Amino acid sequence: MNSIAVPGVRETLAVRAAEVEHRVRSAYTNTRFPSGVALTATGGFGRGELFPYSDVDLLVVVESEHQIAPIKPALSEFLQTLWDGGLRPSHAIQTVNYCVTDHEDNLELTISLLDRRRIAGDPEMYRWLDQRFRAYLSKRGAAIADRLASHANARRAKFQDTVHHLEPNLKDGPGGLRDLQTIRWLAALNPRVPAPDLSAAFEFYAGLRVRMHESAGRDQNLLSFDVQESLSEHPAELMRDYLRHARAVDQAARRSMESAKPREGNLVERFHDWRSRISNTEFTVLRDRVWLRSPASLDRGLSLFEFVARHELRLAFDTIDRLSGRGPETVWEDWRALLSLPHAGMGLRAMQESGVLASAVPEWSHVDCLVVRDFYHHYTVDEHTLVAIDSLETIQDRRFADLWAEIDDPAIVRFALLMHDIGKGSGHDHVDESRRVAHRVLERLRTPENDRATVEFLVAHHLDLSTIMTSRDLSDEATAQMLAERVGTVERLKRLAIMTYADISAVNPNAMSPWRLEQLWRVYLLAHSELTKTLYTERIHDAPGERAGFLEGLPTRYLRTHLDSEIAGHVELAGQLESRAVAIEIVHERGVYRLTLLTRDHPGLFAAVAGAISSFGLSILKAEAFSNAHGIVVDTFTFSDPHRSLELNPPEVDRLRGIVRKVVEGKLDAAQLLRGRPKPLLPSRGARFEPRVQLNNFASETATLIEIVAEDRAGLLYDLTRAISSAGCNIEVVLIDTEAHRALDVFYVTVRGEKLDGELAKKLRATLLAACSAS
Amino acid sequence: MKKIEAIIQPHKLEEVKEAIKAIGIDGMTVSEVRGHGRQKGHKEVYRGMEYQVDLLPKIKIEIVIPAARLDELIRTLVASARTGKIGDGKIFVYDVAEAIRIRNDDRGEGAL
Repeated sequence: MNSIAVPGVRETLAVRAAEVEHRVRSAYTNTRFPSGVALTATGGFGRGELFPYSDVDLLVVVESEHQIAPIKPALSEFLQTLWDGGLRPSHAIQTVNYCVTDHEDNLELTISLLDRRRIAGDPEMYRWLDQRFRAYLSKRGAAIADRLASHANARRAKFQDTVHHLEPNLKDGPGGLRDLQTIRWLAALNPRVPAPDLSAAFEFYAGLRVRMHESAGRDQNLLSFDVQESLSEHPAELMRDYLRHARAVDQAARRSMESAKPREGNLVERFHDWRSRISNTEFTVLRDRVWLRSPASLDRGLSLFEFVARHELRLAFDTIDRLSGRGPETVWEDWRALLSLPHAGMGLRAMQESGVLASAVPEWSHVDCLVVRDFYHHYTVDEHTLVAIDSLETIQDRRFADLWAEIDDPAIVRFALLMHDIGKGSGHDHVDESRRVAHRVLERLRTPENDRATVEFLVAHHLDLSTIMTSRDLSDEATAQMLAERVGTVERLKRLAIMTYADISAVNPNAMSPWRLEQLWRVYLLAHSELTKTLYTERIHDAPGERAGFLEGLPTRYLRTHLDSEIAGHVELAGQLESRAVAIEIVHERGVYRLTLLTRDHPGLFAAVAGAISSFGLSILKAEAFSNAHGIVVDTFTFSDPHRSLELNPPEVDRLRGIVRKVVEGKLDAAQLLRGRPKPLLPSRGARFEPRVQLNNFASETATLIEIVAEDRAGLLYDLTRAISSAGCNIEVVLIDTEAHRALDVFYVTVRGEKLDGELAKKLRATLLAACSAS
Repeated sequence: MKKIEAIIQPHKLEEVKEAIKAIGIDGMTVSEVRGHGRQKGHKEVYRGMEYQVDLLPKIKIEIVIPAARLDELIRTLVASARTGKIGDGKIFVYDVAEAIRIRNDDRGEGAL
């Protein structure tokens, strides 16, 4: 760093200030000013830091108003001499009284006087000003600091309050020179405000600014693309250095401005006090910021950041200080817990701000402040990544918002986003490199195979959809096939679409134009319809290996949606069928239950199992049914336990297994079981909507596709599947999903191996519609 | 001078740009637009819900050239943007009264 800094830049500025001072003083002496006048340097000149083309700030101080008019002729002559000498004086005449009074519209005067220095004129008058001004500060310092903080906020707001600009303003932009001065002024005005040492940043900026002034021949402060190129052969590196300083200054400025603000009024404070009740044994919450009670909580896991994200808080400055340089040991479960939270982005921001992100994942430092230098990329790579993750919280488009809500493991998508550009700046293809880094990180976190594979897939393919959006003919069938082939499953497609949405949205604030949004949705639809067309009905033939027998005749989709370990489990369950009619497995993981059932297929089977599960008051979230060439079905039901009956009474799990077995064997009637269940509570009238049932004979080559969207209720799946079975139809493939109160059910059905004819389809549709509405 | 405005398929942009550059025309304005012509909107069925897609994403290219080069440009555009399917787009031709380069006040074809 500091490759650009001019050696001894402070001396350069001081030498220039001394030289200017000499000329100003002699011009003053050569002009006949009346007595009782003091010439004071203020601002940059007062500090002895003069940039080549900066204004020379001067204040002429007098005791009373009537002295002002008689001074004017001498003053004009004096200023003219300076102008003719090539200086740019910026002057004011004020009385001492005016200088030590609050002025709503002239805070600049008060602030410029903080850097006052006598140049010439009446020493007594200067001493008088100095004495009065000190007294004024000791009385009003804190109030002035408060106003200065508000002014600084307003200035920063003009730059969207962010350091991330392609062409930043070195002087007034957030994290720039003005912020550095503000930090110093605030500390001088109010002893409560910290005074950090940021001299490295100052020297870096000053070095840049001197060269910018010299090469432009004027007061140039905009670090434009041209200027960046003229200053360095490696403008991207230059900007990376700039941003590293700017971030440090920005963070310090925020801290100073906040410390300078007085405590809020009563009502707000009471709300914050109320918020402080979420404090626990590890963390104290005060004014929406988190303090640590025990430093031990930093060494392991991410509980601090989980706490921040859960309650939408920020870290206290003290906490940030204590975190500096510390890296907790983490495992995948810590990340999963943090990244599952809706405001996970806030937790990651806190990790970034405190440096913990880079110590927990050292690879993160590769993209720290990394600049992608073109007009399109607005953010550095690390900021882009965090903006992408934040953008998931505010998806405006209804279709993508729905898609995001349907994804049941948001942590995977967020982690994939965290990794998606981490290989940038390596000099190699960034997609490949990011996937490699992600692999390494996931291994280190001891991530289960399943999650690791999904994250790596998402990282490796994160550009696919956007590439196809702009470079492939979307009406060409080959595009759809290629896409389906590459993505493999609907689940992956959804995750990839959401990831692409976030990635594009975070390139610059206007990157997700309605045009791109529409294109991305078209690509999603294209792939979705291609995947649903073939994957469900295309069958596996002659699979290699010893599982061939079991796999024969299962839909291709089965292979694409199940992990190797799951398939192995199914093969094992299939083995049990040699000695018994039904093999059942129930597992409890990640807050839901999953029942897997293998048996010989027979009419009404799926409906019976769905009914048995519902009769326990359990709520079916997802279900799948596949059958192989030997007539063996693999049915999977994922359900939640809203009344915690299984969770609180473990023997109930065995009872459920027993009941399902009896229902499958035909020893119990599901309808009988359901009769005793209480009527479900319907959602409020406003939230209700008309059910839709669509039958489609074109989507698949071998079966009729039935798509149902209905209000979810207990027993719905049982009613629907029973209606299908009762009509003499065979359910080939089932895909059940729920989203809030909506059930999204897809069935592929046949009658005696054929698609449904018009008459039957019409009748079945009416029956299904009636089942949706029944309560 | 003539101005052409071509509406083309998004995936054809690169090819069209290359082709136009190959005949020595450098200046153009490209925008992302949405609209429909004969391709009309169509219905997309997504999980039982129908979506009416009435405005399709397209690319609009605008180029101003000396009148003498018009035919050549149109031939190049048509050849590079065509897939033969509905939705390939359209080309419109306008007369241009004057062109002025803001930097130095050059006028007419010299400003192009």
